[in-house]
Amino acid sequence: MRGVTFLYLLYLGAPIVLLVVGSFGESWTNSLLPSGLTLRWYEEVFADPSFRRAFETSLLVAGAACALGALIGLPLAYAINASARRGVAAAARIATLLPIAAPELVLAFGLILAFSSDVAPWLGSTWLLIAAHVVLTLPYLTGTLLTDMRHLGLEQQELAAASLGAGFLQRARDVVLPALRHSLMTGLVTVAAISIGEFQVSNLIAGFLNRTYPVVLLQAFYGATGFACAATVVLLALALLAAAGGAATGRLARVS
Amino acid sequence: MAVRFEGVSYRYPGGSGVFDVDLEIADGELLAVIGPSGSGKSTLLKLLAGFLQPDAGRIWIDGRDATRDPPQARGLGVVPQFYALFPHMSVAENVAYPLKVRGVPRQERLARAREALARVGLPAQAERTPGSLSGGQQQRVALARALVFGPSALLLDEPLSALDAALRVGLRDEIRRVQREAGVATLHITHDQEEALSIADRVAVVLDGRLAQVDRPTALYDHPVDTRVARFVGEANLLPGVVVAEGLVETRLGNLRCATGTAAAGQPVTLLIRPESLDPHPPADAANRLRGSLGRDRFLGASRRYDLTLPGGLLLGETLFRGPIDEVAIPPEAIRLLPPAPPTDIGEAT
Repeated sequence: MRGVTFLYLLYLGAPIVLLVVGSFGESWTNSLLPSGLTLRWYEEVFADPSFRRAFETSLLVAGAACALGALIGLPLAYAINASARRGVAAAARIATLLPIAAPELVLAFGLILAFSSDVAPWLGSTWLLIAAHVVLTLPYLTGTLLTDMRHLGLEQQELAAASLGAGFLQRARDVVLPALRHSLMTGLVTVAAISIGEFQVSNLIAGFLNRTYPVVLLQAFYGATGFACAATVVLLALALLAAAGGAATGRLARVS
Repeated sequence: MAVRFEGVSYRYPGGSGVFDVDLEIADGELLAVIGPSGSGKSTLLKLLAGFLQPDAGRIWIDGRDATRDPPQARGLGVVPQFYALFPHMSVAENVAYPLKVRGVPRQERLARAREALARVGLPAQAERTPGSLSGGQQQRVALARALVFGPSALLLDEPLSALDAALRVGLRDEIRRVQREAGVATLHITHDQEEALSIADRVAVVLDGRLAQVDRPTALYDHPVDTRVARFVGEANLLPGVVVAEGLVETRLGNLRCATGTAAAGQPVTLLIRPESLDPHPPADAANRLRGSLGRDRFLGASRRYDLTLPGGLLLGETLFRGPIDEVAIPPEAIRLLPPAPPTDIGEAT
């Protein structure tokens, strides 16, 4: 059993380890491991204005997706959970899950059609990019929140609080938000991670000046191997950073 | 009256619910509501708490029409079935919560919460989290939380159902003691007849959404209004019969002597005989002696429950007697006459 676990971890970890090793290697051609040691590839990635801009754009988009996701997802999940009519709740759940069910390309083409006209000429804008990421990630956030609401018996806690004299806002502040803080954080970490790694939709709807990091990263693979590895390691660091940011947003939501 | 239901009806989409309920709970009184699953007993609590709005009728709390008031405006202390303690608050904060929403300063509310916890026997648990307490302790915390702000009435929704049997007996006495000390009108929903009979001032039996009978526990047990109530409250032998003459009823087990009251000869009746009223070791001159053979014989520790197979059917008995049983006597004064079939309309509470 241990051997299987080890092999599985090796399978998972080996590509990441190779990427990190490759990003510090001077040269890597037709060999198992690279030769030489250098920081050149990282210097080149950070010196490249298109990568720097993409890095900032990805952080902005992921942060905004987390903030908007929390603002929309929390009330949405609450409303679905509290819906007295079972049919309404089921329909709302299906609607929130649609972005997962539909291929991302469908969403992207839909956005291109809808926002490339003179009436709504916002294709290529950062806000449309953010909106797309919110739509893509919202099901994961509401799903996490709904599961936690059911698991915690939030409805019963709210009824108890109401019977003890708490109005809606008091219940939201004292019972609902504190009870959901963990799932909100978990959900926002997921949102941040998905947003940072998202490629298909961003590649089709982002403008030249607001391309996200994964979109720009594609170029790196046409150049030196070390450069591609370094750029990919930066994406990995960016995902971890975004996850931490998502967790921080959840903490802020809990405090407020 | 602290609480009054006046012609209250509520119908669920499936057609079940509660219908034409008239019920009062006096200050300091503990009224238990019992009934089979789905009979509507919990619906009564939800209507009183404001979790549901009645389709018809009115609900009065402390002389005020509270029918359309939201739950937070009713001033009632509710202990939910699974306690619904707030997991992110300490035990003291949970108990202090009703005082917090009423604007009581922090120090004062925490002091009052500790007093309330002492009253339910948990003075040392104030700083713990609800999740670290046992089920019985959580139940007491929920009770303290429901009482700390001096509610108009206390609502208990099967508060002991999640606990094991040994703990239930102790805690139901605890609930009664705390409720008496608080002197608060209490609606106690339970499916446990023994629990209801042992701690309630009055017991309401709900069958098919209607109040079948509201009475003192002893009256309910000894004088049920019909066979449905008799069958639901405690164990019962129910024998269909016909009054032959004054003081004599013909049944499938033979003619039995009993008080027939105003029932005329030829009138169909049902005889109610509680198992513990059978005498398994009767004297030779006892009335209503019946011979048979012992069927199932179950030793329950404190008592013994047996079936006596007779030519006309079975009789269920309960006794402390340990010897062989092949004959029983039914004391005439232990036999109650009930209407032969459930009445079609039992909406009127007694």
